[in-house]
Amino acid sequence: MAADRKPPDFSDVQSGSSSTAPRAPGSPARTYTVVAGDSLSKIAKRVYGDSQKWRVIYEANRNLIKNPDLIHPGQVFTLPEV
Amino acid sequence: MPGHPVSRLALAAGVIVLSVGCGKKEEPAVVPPPPAAVVAFRVTSVDLGKGITADKMVANSTDDFSPRDTVYVSVATEGSSPGAAVKAKWTFEDGQVVDETTQTVAPTGPARTEFHISKPSGWPVGKYKVEITVDGALAGSKEFEVKRA
Repeated sequence: MAADRKPPDFSDVQSGSSSTAPRAPGSPARTYTVVAGDSLSKIAKRVYGDSQKWRVIYEANRNLIKNPDLIHPGQVFTLPEV
Repeated sequence: MPGHPVSRLALAAGVIVLSVGCGKKEEPAVVPPPPAAVVAFRVTSVDLGKGITADKMVANSTDDFSPRDTVYVSVATEGSSPGAAVKAKWTFEDGQVVDETTQTVAPTGPARTEFHISKPSGWPVGKYKVEITVDGALAGSKEFEVKRA
């Protein structure tokens, strides 16, 4: 039954962006909005291609992340250049 | 005509006055140049494709993709901004969020910003949508479909 169908898992999606325009002074290169099923290592894999870089995201967003094992959909993290 | 010496004198004087008047050069009117038009930052087009060029234009423009494709969206803008947050929000069918990425740019003229997503394990077949917002305001969207290869 369609109602029983599990929503697809998009946790291994990898994403990126770039522009011909210069980056705004003082702004992060880009930001990422947490979606359901995310963890810091999944985000690191998604945006840097390396789950081990989760700590880069953690360090850049210490003001938002109290516990690196607990992040919430809708949180917006800055993504430093690596 | 000796009877009209005054008239001759007046005629001569008139010619001189006329000559001097004609000799005065007209100064061209100085029209100040119009102020440079300030073009407000705005999205002019949103394009989807399977590749991207060095100047961030899509290559292989399409809205049909295969499960292993990388999906690119190119956002063309005009105008300038000290800092505009351009966001791509990708969703699947009933609104399940696939990805959201923001790029904050400071363009001084026409520019292009690209976003891309891929899924190594393969995209589920179905309909997708990407919405482009600028500083939170919807600026464009595109729908696309992933079909079995």
